[in-house]
Amino acid sequence: MRALRTHLYHALLWAVALLFFAPVAWIVLSSFKTADQILAVPPTLFFRPTLANYVRVLSNPNIVSGFGNSLILSCSSVLIAVAVSFLAAFSFSRFKPRGTAFLMFLLLSIRMLPGSAAILPVYLMYVGLGWKDTYFGVILFYAMFSVPFSVWILKGFIDGVSPRFDETGLVNGAGWFRIMTRLIFPQVMPGVIAALIFNFIFVWNEFLFNYIIGGPRTANIPTALATGLYSGGGVDWTFVSVTTTLYIVPPILVVFLFQRYLLVGMTFGTVRGEV
Amino acid sequence: METATATRAPPSWATRLAALLQRRSVLPTLLLIPVLVFFIIWNTMPTLWLLGLSFYRFSLTSGRPPRFTGFGNFQSILQDSEVWLALSRTFLFVFSAVGIETVLGLLLGLLFWGSQRLPGRRVALTMLFTPMVLTPVAAGTFWRLIYDPTFGVLNAALRGIGLPSVNFLGNARTAFGAVLAVDVWMWTPFMVLMTLAALASVPKAELEAAEIDRLSWLQRLRLVILHHGKFILLLGILLRTIDAFKTMDLIYDMTFGGPGSTTELVAIMLYRRAFEVFAMGWSSALAVILLLISIAFTATFIFVLHARERRSQDVPT
Repeated sequence: MRALRTHLYHALLWAVALLFFAPVAWIVLSSFKTADQILAVPPTLFFRPTLANYVRVLSNPNIVSGFGNSLILSCSSVLIAVAVSFLAAFSFSRFKPRGTAFLMFLLLSIRMLPGSAAILPVYLMYVGLGWKDTYFGVILFYAMFSVPFSVWILKGFIDGVSPRFDETGLVNGAGWFRIMTRLIFPQVMPGVIAALIFNFIFVWNEFLFNYIIGGPRTANIPTALATGLYSGGGVDWTFVSVTTTLYIVPPILVVFLFQRYLLVGMTFGTVRGEV
Repeated sequence: METATATRAPPSWATRLAALLQRRSVLPTLLLIPVLVFFIIWNTMPTLWLLGLSFYRFSLTSGRPPRFTGFGNFQSILQDSEVWLALSRTFLFVFSAVGIETVLGLLLGLLFWGSQRLPGRRVALTMLFTPMVLTPVAAGTFWRLIYDPTFGVLNAALRGIGLPSVNFLGNARTAFGAVLAVDVWMWTPFMVLMTLAALASVPKAELEAAEIDRLSWLQRLRLVILHHGKFILLLGILLRTIDAFKTMDLIYDMTFGGPGSTTELVAIMLYRRAFEVFAMGWSSALAVILLLISIAFTATFIFVLHARERRSQDVPT
């Protein structure tokens, strides 16, 4: 009797998980259908899978460059942001310079602003300076947008490392730079990882900023998806499903591999613990 | 290299610089310089520009230079009934999305509480959490197909049980609810995650004590679980509120704010006026108003954080 109840309970949990995953599964399934099968009435669940869509989409130069851009933009901006934020978070945590609270507040409020309001002045500035559609401009803007999140997470983690470590380092003749990189950095690795992966997912999925301050040269996949949607008078569903299927693999892998960091990441480091 | 060999010679500029940089009065500022540079170039300057522009009449399409209008833009925004409609629609959206997600998230979180021995737990949780890391553009676009009146799988199911098909996104009566449902699908997992975190923060001993005292299930939830977990839940609700207020790509790709303007939230409205109509002065003024609202949200968030810190300092552990 108890065993049966446990089985039922576990079946229920799996049903909930599968229910939330169903729309995603439907996208993946559709990517193996022909265009006619996707629009079949009623929708087909069983069919002969085809890889022709993948061949067609992957031979589209816009998509290939889109994947390249997504990778370049997210990796470089996130690395810059975390490096810069680590220094700032160390300063905020250890020396508490005047205005720390105010700066932390300002940093956070950037992230709380609706995207269209945040990008509007930057767009005008980029048009004026000629930075629109340059890797320099897009990467550094993404880096700036990833800074608040990273500073918040890293400051929380550095606060958790006892200042005794710094004192020991100083007594033994290490400089501050050495203390930061050799003593503190290894201890806040979980925070660094959380900051890296969450900013990565943010930039990876970001559409609006890329669309507004980017252009043909720096377009990432969300932009390529939104602009390349229509062909021959309707939405090209095979294009959408194949591109999406390929594109969601990294975020799903991140959730699977770094489940422990999910909580820290999604709450700016304000909540920690295991789920 | 020079500094290593010249031990007797007066310290070179490099050693003196190194010594200066180690000083406690210089180092903290030095470490902040990179972030401040970022902040000033990409945030302070644009924000000041935005503030300035909000007092001008400036359209990118007219080709005329900006003309000073004082508070003209703000006045026209406050008198614009469409803005008020978009704002109230946004608050309705935020309120209902966050409300439904919180209740559902709490229930599912409680359901998943005892799931430690679930076979394949990690895969199941990954599936549950996938919607929130999905590309909003891709999710929004694909939901259009799912909702489609002729080809969509949802309407096929409706027809299967003998109901007429519904043009979910094309009908002004159902569009708002349909869009809301997608947001609920995407973000309920976040509230599940927060509920699980809140439950994990409840001390085991108190739960056992409650069991020995034979508290009812409801009493246990109220007196033990909510007492310890309410802070994390509150943070979750706040973060979700702020995020829902920003919702834009997801809805834009499903309905473009339509039909009519039934799903035009304020972020979408700003996008259309700024980047489709190019009324930059007016849009800047609206962005300034949204900035003020976000600052209020941020202040609340930080207030809640500090309230907890203050309380945890009062209680000796």
